[in-house]
Amino acid sequence: MALSEHFGPDVQVAVDEVHVRYRTASDDAGLRRSLPRWQRAANRVIGREPTVLVRALAGVSLVARAGDAVGIVGLNGSGKSTLLRIIAGLEHPDRGQARARSTPVLLGVNAALLPELSGRQNVHLGCLAMGMTPAQAEAAYPTVVEVAGIGASIHRPMKTYSSGMAARLKFAIAAASEPQILLIDEALATGDAAFRDRSEERMKLLRQNAGCVFLVSHAAKTVEETCTRAIWLHHGRVVTDGPAYEVAQAYRWWAWNLAKGETEKAAGLLEDAFRQGVDTQIVLSPADATHVVPRHARR
Amino acid sequence: MTDPAPTTTRREVRSEIVDGSVLLPVSRRPPLTEYLAQLWQRRHFIRADARARVVSGTRGALLGTAWLVLRPVLDASVYLIIFGLVLKADRGIENFLGYLVIGTFMFQFTARSVSSGAQSVIAGRTLMKAFAFPRASLPIAAVVRETVSYLPVLVAMVCVVLVLPPGPDLSWRWLLVPFVLGLQVLLALGLALLLARPVTRVPDLQHLIGMGTRFWLYGSAVFFSYERFIDHPGILRVIELNPMFQVLDITRDCLLYGVTPHAGAWLTLGLWAVGTCGIGMVVFWRGEDRYGAL
Repeated sequence: MALSEHFGPDVQVAVDEVHVRYRTASDDAGLRRSLPRWQRAANRVIGREPTVLVRALAGVSLVARAGDAVGIVGLNGSGKSTLLRIIAGLEHPDRGQARARSTPVLLGVNAALLPELSGRQNVHLGCLAMGMTPAQAEAAYPTVVEVAGIGASIHRPMKTYSSGMAARLKFAIAAASEPQILLIDEALATGDAAFRDRSEERMKLLRQNAGCVFLVSHAAKTVEETCTRAIWLHHGRVVTDGPAYEVAQAYRWWAWNLAKGETEKAAGLLEDAFRQGVDTQIVLSPADATHVVPRHARR
Repeated sequence: MTDPAPTTTRREVRSEIVDGSVLLPVSRRPPLTEYLAQLWQRRHFIRADARARVVSGTRGALLGTAWLVLRPVLDASVYLIIFGLVLKADRGIENFLGYLVIGTFMFQFTARSVSSGAQSVIAGRTLMKAFAFPRASLPIAAVVRETVSYLPVLVAMVCVVLVLPPGPDLSWRWLLVPFVLGLQVLLALGLALLLARPVTRVPDLQHLIGMGTRFWLYGSAVFFSYERFIDHPGILRVIELNPMFQVLDITRDCLLYGVTPHAGAWLTLGLWAVGTCGIGMVVFWRGEDRYGAL
């Protein structure tokens, strides 16, 4: 075991062997046939579908330091968004845990606020939800409007916004609290070029203030342009974790081959990338400071 | 996709030393006192959320928020017409219309608070996905919202009592009513917190809550008085332990009959309100780290 001690910038986020499983409905005919007869009948009566166990994350470990902009790439369903929700503390892992130096703020696409309310009221409510006082929320308002840059639409109900406008407003709200740790889920993809520049500016500012940013995107190009580091997830596992350019290039080459139907070649590329990757192991020091017993042991 | 998940390959391991006293688990459940402090810190959010939903609940109607006042007034007029003019039935109860209006209006608040509070965590999914805040804010905001819409109902109720035939019986006892209302809100909050956790886990329970409320309605002397049906002192005693029965009984004594409610009634109601609120808070807090998995 190579023990490389880092005395670089402070660790902001540590994810330690996180496993997440979901039990969800599935209308797979093969699955239904495998059930006993009485259960099939019962399911039909109450209109329920058989459930399957989906492994979203299977033992992910990583650390992020101050000044890092970590891009997370991977196919749809590779566990990228789940990982962000775990880091944000919005979801509890089945095993393992995520630790952070300060409260991370997640900015997601499906985080519709209250669609009936105007943009202005949503800004107010969002700021309060992040723990600001009314005075602080009032003070943050001009900045939010400037970063969002959606003009007079701020006074219209949010349900009338286009998806791009909503994403801009959400990004601006999340950035308003000046979080040390900002998690962004596919949000930049929907903005236009002007907004992308402004949000990149904002991200750079956050990183300079000793913060770190996570950016989830299946567009490896965005990650390549805006991040310093990248992590490639596949089927809930870390394939590689390294400089943004290298990881994003490897991922794009693999994804391109996959899209062209070169399954054999893609499998080989994935295998290579995986072999070259490194596993991260989190060592807590002091060893059991506030060590939490894993949930499965507590039950 | 059929590529082999590369699980068997052995890889180099890089150890990262992390200071466990500075980096804290993100989804840890804080101790109860800290949790309450966090809730207090989010009081502005709770208030803003409650107010926003009161307003957005009536948006789309032409008269907007005016419906908050109009609806209870119309409700009251329905009772006035049906029981006062059409049926002329008082079932042997003095000032039956006042009795009925107090019963239905006040019980409706408890029923609405409990059901919307219990569903608030499921309804607040989008907010929970966006922001990390103590989840008890959601049931609390739901009860606050119901309380805000309850105020016009109370005004309508008092107006009805004032204009009813026997005439108002104004006395110092009217000043006791705010205390009953405070205890009623506390009771509703406790039940909302208590039920929010099981309902979030098993949403089917929502349907059972509606049924339970119906039973409770008939057990709280909303439409009729018990003294006429039950002579057995033991059963009567059990009914007097029902907190909603006490809420209605105390209010009627103060507003309609000019009777000073006795200490036993206050004690029963007070114990119920404080007890459910405390137990509800602890029960909800113990599930704090599981509400995200929706």
